[in-house]
This record gives sequence, C-alpha cells and structure tokens, in this order.
Amino acid sequence: MAAPLLVLDDVRKVYTRGRVIRRPTFTLQANLSLDEPEIVGVVGPNGAGKTTLFEMMTGSNSPTSGRVLVAGTDIHGVKYRERDRLAIHYHQSYQVRRFRKRIPSALLAPSPTRTPLVHLFDEPQFNLQDGYIGFMLDFFRKLRDEDRLVILCMHPTAAWHLDILAEIAGRFLFVAGGGVTRMADFGALVAEPRFRSYLGPEMTKAADAICHRPIPIST
Amino acid sequence: MNMIEAAAVHVRFGDRVVLESVDLAVAEGEFHGVMGPNGAGKTTFFNVLTGRVKPNRGRVLLAGEDVTGLSPHRIAAKGIARSFQIMTLFDEFSARDNVMMGLPEFRARGHDIARAAAGDGRFAAKSSEALAAVGLADKGDIRAKDLSYGDRRALEIAVALAQAPRVLCLDEPTSGLGSDGVQRLAALIARLKRRLTIVAIEHDMEFLFSLADRISVIHWGQVVARGTPHELQQNEWVRRSNLGKFA
Repeated sequence: MAAPLLVLDDVRKVYTRGRVIRRPTFTLQANLSLDEPEIVGVVGPNGAGKTTLFEMMTGSNSPTSGRVLVAGTDIHGVKYRERDRLAIHYHQSYQVRRFRKRIPSALLAPSPTRTPLVHLFDEPQFNLQDGYIGFMLDFFRKLRDEDRLVILCMHPTAAWHLDILAEIAGRFLFVAGGGVTRMADFGALVAEPRFRSYLGPEMTKAADAICHRPIPIST
Repeated sequence: MNMIEAAAVHVRFGDRVVLESVDLAVAEGEFHGVMGPNGAGKTTFFNVLTGRVKPNRGRVLLAGEDVTGLSPHRIAAKGIARSFQIMTLFDEFSARDNVMMGLPEFRARGHDIARAAAGDGRFAAKSSEALAAVGLADKGDIRAKDLSYGDRRALEIAVALAQAPRVLCLDEPTSGLGSDGVQRLAALIARLKRRLTIVAIEHDMEFLFSLADRISVIHWGQVVARGTPHELQQNEWVRRSNLGKFA
C-alpha cells in the first residue's frame, strides 16, 4: 500500500522565551495522518498555531520534535528549495516568515517528486463579486481528483464563508488550545463547543442553518 | 495547429514559486484571454512567452518550433510581439517614427533614421498601414507625448503590429482607458481577430467575455479554470458574482 499522503508523527513545536531559563510561550502538538486524496478544511482562532502548523507541514519551520512525512518522505530532510515539490504553501506575501537553514542543502535529500502532492491554501482571498471562488473550488476538486491532498485554511467571518467550507471540505482540522482535533465532517465541526464559541452566536446560527439544509447548493 | 503553446512552465524566483505549472495552447487566429487576481503570475507568464524570463522547466512552442529560453529580440523576430502594462513609447518621437522603429526592415538597417527621414517610401507606407489599422492614420506626425492616453495605447498596438507578428500579446490593453477608449479598443481587436493570434491579459471582464474565444484563469501560478466565456459562466458561484452579468 502507498504511504499516507501526510503524516504528522508526534509533532511538537515549542516556542520559548529567555536564554538561561527557557519558558515555553507557545506549544502546539499534532499527531495525525491524512491518508487519501481529499479536501481538508482548517479552522481555528488567531494565535492557535495554524500558521506554525502549515509551516511545519510544508517544511519551512522545523518541529521541536516529531516528524512530518509527505508520502513517506520526511520533508524536513529534503533540500530547502525542493520542499515545495512535496508540499506547497500558497499564502499572501505578508504571511511569509523566514527561518534559519541549519543544515547545508548539499547534505539534504532531493525531493522524490516534481509536482507537489500536498497543496495548502492559507486564507485565500475569497470575494463574492469577482466570481473567482467558483474557479478556485473547482480547482481544489481537480487537484483532489488528481490524487493530491488539498488543505484549505479559512477564517469564517461571513455566512457564505461557511457555505464554502461546507461545500468543499470532506473533513476538518480544528486548531485550538495547543492541539489539532480532527473532525469527520462539517456537522461534527459545528457540534464542537470550542468551534461554536470561536464563531460567536450569529455565525453559529448560520452554521446550524447549513447543517439543517436539505440539499447542498451545488452538486 | 497551435500557433503558440506553453507546456508545464515552471518559474521560481529564489524561494518563491511564481508559476507552478502552466499549460496553454492557442490555435491560429484565436483570441485567448488571461485573467486572474493581482500577483497570480500573469505577467510573469507573458515574460516567459516573450523571452524576458527563462522558465526553470517547461517549454514554449511557436507554430511547433521550440523557442524556450531564446532572447526577447530573437523571439520577437520569430513573430511574437507584445504590449506592456506600463507604456513603452519614445515620447519625443512622432507616432509614425515610433511605429517605424518597430518595422523589422528598419531594424535590419541598424536604426538608420537618416535614411528613413530621407523618405524611404516603403517604411513610410508600412508605418501608415499600421497607424491606420489602429485608427491613427491622421495622427502620424504628432509627437507620442502629445497624443491622448487612448491614442498612446493604440499607438503601442501599432508598434507591435508593425512587426507583422504571428502572435500579439497584450498586457492589460484597457488599463487606464475610459469607456469610449475601451469601446474603440474592442472594435480594433474585433478587426484584428482571426487575422492574428492574440493572447491578452485583462481585468475588464466585460471586454474579455465579449471578445475572447477562450479564457484561462490564472491563480497561484496555475491555470485554475479554462473555457469559452459561456463555459466559465456555468459555474454556480460565477453566476452569483458580477461575472454572471456578462452571460
């Protein structure tokens, strides 16, 4: 059997403060496996560690411990410039953070693949007016149908953002409280009390309405 | 046969992937629109087609001939002309002289402006032809900087046409134009269509959807959608947006 597309094997990231006595200021832990091509929605409050999680998944920010495996390859053992041949992080330019490259590239392994297997979209700028949403959603489906793993991070601030998540994502990751929780579907996500409190009362009402809607808006 | 074709074009600037993998095949006489948000990689893709950026991987074919990585002037000589998002005219020169400098015969003579000034009839006739094609027949003697904005944009296209290109690449031809300017440009494109293969990056959706035979949507350095205007408008989310209006 082929290796799972993305495995976070006991991954742990700790940010510390202080030179002599290091006190942790932030901790994120994740242990999960996304085996099959699919579209995964990622949500969670600001500061929960979504960006750190994505940086670890795509190989720019190395975990304090644990391994990130993309189709069986430890992405942090691959040459820096070839990591996006395994997993690519699409983000706004202002989101880019740079990290120290501790190991010379010559000592690292080449990427076994030429086109990325994991495509991670970090808060794509959706806008109802320009119509690009439709093209993007179809593109996510196309990538999935070409056996890629698509990860879509969104900050739902309007009811139609929830429509998009419910329509496109087959499963969810909820990032909060230093951990990553896997949710089987949109209904399970909306049932999660921490997700409801993150959404606030109005958006929660919209999310409940989507869950009770008989037919999805597009087929 | 495809007049211009790009296959799996990949471009990176340092750590940044600008074009992940872009394919394009435009048939002879087709008007192909390219749309996408700012920073999607559209202009970089044009720079690959016209030789200003050499792709890290992938190929560009002009009428079946591999032109990948050739210098811009060699690609231009083979028949790909372009206009720029930001205007590139010789402001102090007349409209006719601007066009003349685009003529391949003129360039072959080492920019012999003295000879041109002495009145080599062929140069003048060809320049007039290109000026007439864009509706500037009676403005040939006006200095480029004294032309209106709309006329300057038309002049840019005339300079490109003077090269007798097989493929015309237009980078946001309507940018900065008022509605009458856009209409005039649309009429010009409608006249050029079929005679020429045109690839145009454009933000004006009404313009693009009414003129293009097919449209490629580029986002995140990839073609995320492609089809006729009608096909693209079938998408439910597109219908709900402003693009749905042009159906």
